[in-house]
Amino acid sequence: MKELVEFIAKSIVDAPDEVKIEEETTEEGLTLKLQVADEDKGRVIGKQGRIAEAIRTLLRVKAAKADTKVRLEII
Amino acid sequence: MEMSEQKDGIAEVARETLEKLLGLMGVSTSVVLVSELAAEGEEGALPGLIFDIEGDDLGILIGRRGQTLACLQFMVRLIVAHRTKVWRPIVIDIGDYNRRRQEALQALAFRMAEQVKERGVPFALEPMPAADRRIIHLSLAENPDVTTQSSGEREERKVVILPQEPLD
Repeated sequence: MKELVEFIAKSIVDAPDEVKIEEETTEEGLTLKLQVADEDKGRVIGKQGRIAEAIRTLLRVKAAKADTKVRLEII
Repeated sequence: MEMSEQKDGIAEVARETLEKLLGLMGVSTSVVLVSELAAEGEEGALPGLIFDIEGDDLGILIGRRGQTLACLQFMVRLIVAHRTKVWRPIVIDIGDYNRRRQEALQALAFRMAEQVKERGVPFALEPMPAADRRIIHLSLAENPDVTTQSSGEREERKVVILPQEPLD
């Protein structure tokens, strides 16, 4: 899960070294907290959240394959 | 990642990106570069790239109304554009999904246009992504009996087919 988000985030930001992802497991499933440089926030969220939604959609495929649930937060 | 202005470089970056994404998504597939689409109209424009995905688990990759496939294509375009600084149309298909979807949408458009013409009242199709709405608009562009419009916002945006106002 984490690797997928990490690959996408690092591929679309200007400061890949500042991409950080924290994992948190709750009874609801896995939550990924993605952190990027302030200037890159728009690049991972996109207009009307379009990029963030695309990341979530791709992540759901991976989660479905692993038979689990995953949430992505951008902080 | 090395930056490249060459068109072969872009095809390679696009393939690598797509394969990497699919691998990380946990689906076992193989990616085939089908063709380099000649750009329509514009002189000197770079041709588009069409990739086809083959393998198992294709249904999960297509998603509801093709939404997952649309996101995958969007993501590959975004990553390739960011890496190469060159924008080139990239189309990702799965099996025959795009072609079959296009045919189904065209048939739907013709059927509904016929109904609108007969009844003389507008008909709204279900919400669909921009690429699908475009197919509907284009299918009916030449139809003298109806016009089309999009209405609604974002996820709810849909095509409305209206009877053509008679010209006085």
